[in-house]
Amino acid sequence: METLLGQGRAAIDLIVDAGSFTEGTVGARTFDDPDFGPGAVVGTASLEGETVTVIASDAEAFNEKFPVVYSGIIGLEEGYKMAQAVYATLAADAEKAAASKRPIVLIVDTPGNGPGKVEEIFGMNKATGAYQLALAEARLAGHPIVAMVVGRAISGAFLCHGLQADRILSLTSEFQTMIHVMPITSVSRIIKKDVELLEALAKSNPVFAAGPAFFFKLGGVERLVETIDGMRPAIAAQIADIRKAKADKAATALTGPRGRGALGAERGGRTVRPKVQELLRSEFAAVEERFRPRAN
Amino acid sequence: MPNWNRLQTNSFLECSARDRAVGLVDEGSFVELGGPFDRLVSPHLVALGEAVENDDGIVTGVGRIGARPVFVISQEGRFIGGSVGEVGGAKMVGIIDMAIDFNDRLVAEFPDLPPSARPLVAISFETGGVRLHEANAGLLAHAEVMDALQRARHKVPVVALIGSRIGCFGGMGFVAAATDAIVMSEFGRLGLTGPEVIEQEMGKDEFDASNRALVYRTTGGRHKYVMGDANFLVDDTVAAFRAQLADLCALPVSSFEAMRRIGSPELVEKQLRGVALAAELKPSDARDVWRHAGNNDPVGLADGPLADFRKSVRRLAL
Repeated sequence: METLLGQGRAAIDLIVDAGSFTEGTVGARTFDDPDFGPGAVVGTASLEGETVTVIASDAEAFNEKFPVVYSGIIGLEEGYKMAQAVYATLAADAEKAAASKRPIVLIVDTPGNGPGKVEEIFGMNKATGAYQLALAEARLAGHPIVAMVVGRAISGAFLCHGLQADRILSLTSEFQTMIHVMPITSVSRIIKKDVELLEALAKSNPVFAAGPAFFFKLGGVERLVETIDGMRPAIAAQIADIRKAKADKAATALTGPRGRGALGAERGGRTVRPKVQELLRSEFAAVEERFRPRAN
Repeated sequence: MPNWNRLQTNSFLECSARDRAVGLVDEGSFVELGGPFDRLVSPHLVALGEAVENDDGIVTGVGRIGARPVFVISQEGRFIGGSVGEVGGAKMVGIIDMAIDFNDRLVAEFPDLPPSARPLVAISFETGGVRLHEANAGLLAHAEVMDALQRARHKVPVVALIGSRIGCFGGMGFVAAATDAIVMSEFGRLGLTGPEVIEQEMGKDEFDASNRALVYRTTGGRHKYVMGDANFLVDDTVAAFRAQLADLCALPVSSFEAMRRIGSPELVEKQLRGVALAAELKPSDARDVWRHAGNNDPVGLADGPLADFRKSVRRLAL
């Protein structure tokens, strides 16, 4: 079976309209320095005729300045570069109505955030956080954001590049896609439970097992895509659907992280979450009066 | 209920999550929401046959500081390292959402409501991030918290308080970075990849996790204050954290924008000046950055009393 793991650039070409990807340009912004954040590929393309911002990782790139960045790792420069691409997207459509803001397509194949001493001294948490806030801002402003997992979507790097999207699609595991915090063998070592036990439990509870199918059951992935050719129409369909959901004033269909929360309950993977929140609300309602402005 | 007055002089570092929650707000004002009697236990720990806590290791509630309703989230490091799973994550998001909703309703009803009477969120972090026993649910919960923080922007200030044993690492490291203001003690630690993980991934030459001094130099409160990541560096008492929080409670939400480190294109450009400096300096130790910031005796500065440090330290200008 074919795989796109480690081939973020090839994946871009398979997803967008043939020959339409212009790397390094998003709206009025250009990224001219080839040595700046080489692990992050940003640019503009068209998808079924519509202008979209594309953000991907380049697993072949090595960041000379920050040697922990290779194999698609998101380092300090990469995180901020991705954030810049999102802000440039927001700026490009600032005058447009929410319904006509351009989509952002995240092509996900990243094994992690930069793990290093310099990264911690300067604050890798800020770089990944900055990108997430930018994506959340763009999503709330109306830009449809679709993440397409084509390879590795691992832990904090998936939070950074993927989990703030309106909708998440993943190629099925036949394509060697990986979605997890840690492989089950590592989980087993750290929480001191036999792998056999965990694998048996994973059949009924997808909450610690690795792979797109388990994330699907938890509502962490909206849809699995079974063919490479299927990616482009699936993304385009999601964009149309996201626009519909966002235009719905009653917000009956949520998108983004909380949409996936609702989906988690619907698919039976995360059923406690809504109960917890409902309980907090009812308990606060009972004491709210105490916290309202006091009459003078 | 713990004795509020006695709590104030306690070491923040040694305090339980509940003591922090109670002590940070005005005496007698804290109401726990989703408390232990609600038995919000993790079903995933139950499935694994693991011990559970009736609050899932996160204390949530609401209190007051003066006229201001303060929604509190306080993580307990003594329960599975303060890790966040489905229930704990839902509690965090639920509290932030309620603060936003309450703010919206109050402002609609009382358009002239002074800032000091509008809701604020305080998060006392003590966590290594995602709980591995329910890793996937924990991961998805982190994304929801980040979304909630962005929704709170320009409406409800969110303040991070970091000074507990476990520090604030993993996904919660960027959650803290995404808040409006960060208050730390010198014993607080903040980062993304914890010391042990860096050593495991990159080797002991890159990072020796057993070297406590190195760990604090890299992620501790004093360093994060020099870097501008911590806005305030306070003494290790509940009273000191509370006093700083009370000061912040006087401010309108607009004043918090200037304290942020990320969350706008301008701030990204500012952080990138730091990244360029990192590439240029290639620091082998945080002290190299302190020196660059204008501190000629970083070792003396690091080892001296906190009051002297606060007085004489030069913070990195980007």
